[in-house]
Amino acid sequence: MPLPLYTLEAGQVVEGIKNREFSAEEYISQLLGRIEKVEPKVNAFVTLNKEEGLNRARMLDKKIRDGEQSGPLAGVALSIKDNICTKGMKTTCASKMLESYIPAYDATVIKRLMSAGAIIIGKANLDEFAMGSTTEFSRHGPTRNPWDISRVSGGSSGGSAASVAALECTASLGSDTGGSVRCPASFCSVVGLKPTYGLVSRFGLVSYANSLEQIGPVGRTVSDVVSILNVIAGSDENDHTTINSNKPTYSLQERKGLRAGLVMEFTEGADPGVSKMIYNAADTLEKQGCKCEEVSLPSVQYALASYYTIATAEASSNLARYDNIRYGFDMNPEGYEWNSYFAKARSNFGEEAKRRIIVGSYVLSSGYYGKYYLKAHQVRSLLKHEMETLFKRYDVLIGPTMPILPFKIGERIDDPLKMYLVDIDTVVANLTGMPAISVPAGFADGLPVGLQIMADQFAEQTMLDIAYLFEQAAKVQRSPEL
Amino acid sequence: MVVTREEVKHLGWLAKLEMSDAELQRYTAQIEEIISYLNMLDTIPLEQVKPIAMKKKFSELRKDAPENFEDAVLGTRYRKDGFVKGPRMV
Repeated sequence: MPLPLYTLEAGQVVEGIKNREFSAEEYISQLLGRIEKVEPKVNAFVTLNKEEGLNRARMLDKKIRDGEQSGPLAGVALSIKDNICTKGMKTTCASKMLESYIPAYDATVIKRLMSAGAIIIGKANLDEFAMGSTTEFSRHGPTRNPWDISRVSGGSSGGSAASVAALECTASLGSDTGGSVRCPASFCSVVGLKPTYGLVSRFGLVSYANSLEQIGPVGRTVSDVVSILNVIAGSDENDHTTINSNKPTYSLQERKGLRAGLVMEFTEGADPGVSKMIYNAADTLEKQGCKCEEVSLPSVQYALASYYTIATAEASSNLARYDNIRYGFDMNPEGYEWNSYFAKARSNFGEEAKRRIIVGSYVLSSGYYGKYYLKAHQVRSLLKHEMETLFKRYDVLIGPTMPILPFKIGERIDDPLKMYLVDIDTVVANLTGMPAISVPAGFADGLPVGLQIMADQFAEQTMLDIAYLFEQAAKVQRSPEL
Repeated sequence: MVVTREEVKHLGWLAKLEMSDAELQRYTAQIEEIISYLNMLDTIPLEQVKPIAMKKKFSELRKDAPENFEDAVLGTRYRKDGFVKGPRMV
């Protein structure tokens, strides 16, 4: 029996539809059937785009029958993290504060994906406003890990990674502020990439911490992630932080002889099972002709304090805009005085968002600037300098994406600091603006482990080369039985 | 004590967040723990390090031109004469 269509990679989908081996409508219908079957277990979606998705598929089929150009992502079905604006389709950020928000415009990445022929199959679950590492802080309930549904999927782009692992879409878009693409990619055994700051437009991404975040692709293979990155990367006049240069194009190439630095601070602090898998991964790379050496990144010890200062400071300022007047939930302003209306409406932010607003307000309080915010930016500078020094000797830095294995749902939810500490390996790339990717490294105690590969700014191609080399050699399973 | 209940209450007021007594109690303990952790920043000798900064010239920014936001008010049903209704100011 042939494999079901929903198991195909992006490249196979595009070729299959273009060569009329199957229609886009057949492909989308099979995916919708798959979603119906597994979604009650996984809870990866907030909104499904069934009718519109099928319509787009039929239009694409017609285009192909008429011999028209179909685009590099023709028929590729994407789940989109629900903090990325989609015109006419709800964008809730998994928050009561935006429960009925329907954007009047598409994010730049959405426009680019649509013109490349991609089909949005639904909006993916997340921690409220992307604040969390497990997708438990969603008002739509937690997304469960397809490998063990009693465990967390990681976050905040948990819906993105879980929907990809559970074969509910071809690939996905997430956003990564402190590891939010890479953490769930690691926990769900898929590939997740955070581009260099400024490579991908943030226009239409609901802001959480502007100086740290990037939109990034999630896929079952490095190849899928490359296909999407090639479409979304490039400057955008609506996001002035995008870099002004020619649109880059990335390719898959197996390059031998690359030099990798294994960051000791990352493996030392990790769960022994995770650490063992990462040393195995380094061995695999050595066998493929890479040179791996242990290196030290001493300022990592300050990275989390720096990250949570900057992220909460920016969050408290970004979330100040939600007044529930122009969009939000149904609460009549009649009879309320200005302050009392806002305070009452805004009490509907979830726990984690509220905590971050208050922590952010605290660190930005008069007299504390030099103690927290300024220091946090100095640490950022220090880390960047240390990384740049290492990149003179190494092409990439490697380590675990997450220091621990996916844990049980509810296990850490009442201990915010304990939850923050799991982000130790991922925040470095956000603080320094450098690119990073998580690639499946194998399993410890039956649970996925991700290998993180970081590269110098705009050195995505080198990072992808080594990711592809590792993927081809390690051959780690991508989607579980469900 | 690093963070007091009164401080959290005051910050909640400044940030326009209504909190119940139970929430206030819980957040104070949690925020105290978080701020104690962030306090490590104050112990690092960083005098020689310049903070990271991103700069962009104003001339490089796109024109700040208004766009038609007619569709954008669809999010609320509380409207009057083409305007969105808000709470009273005084």
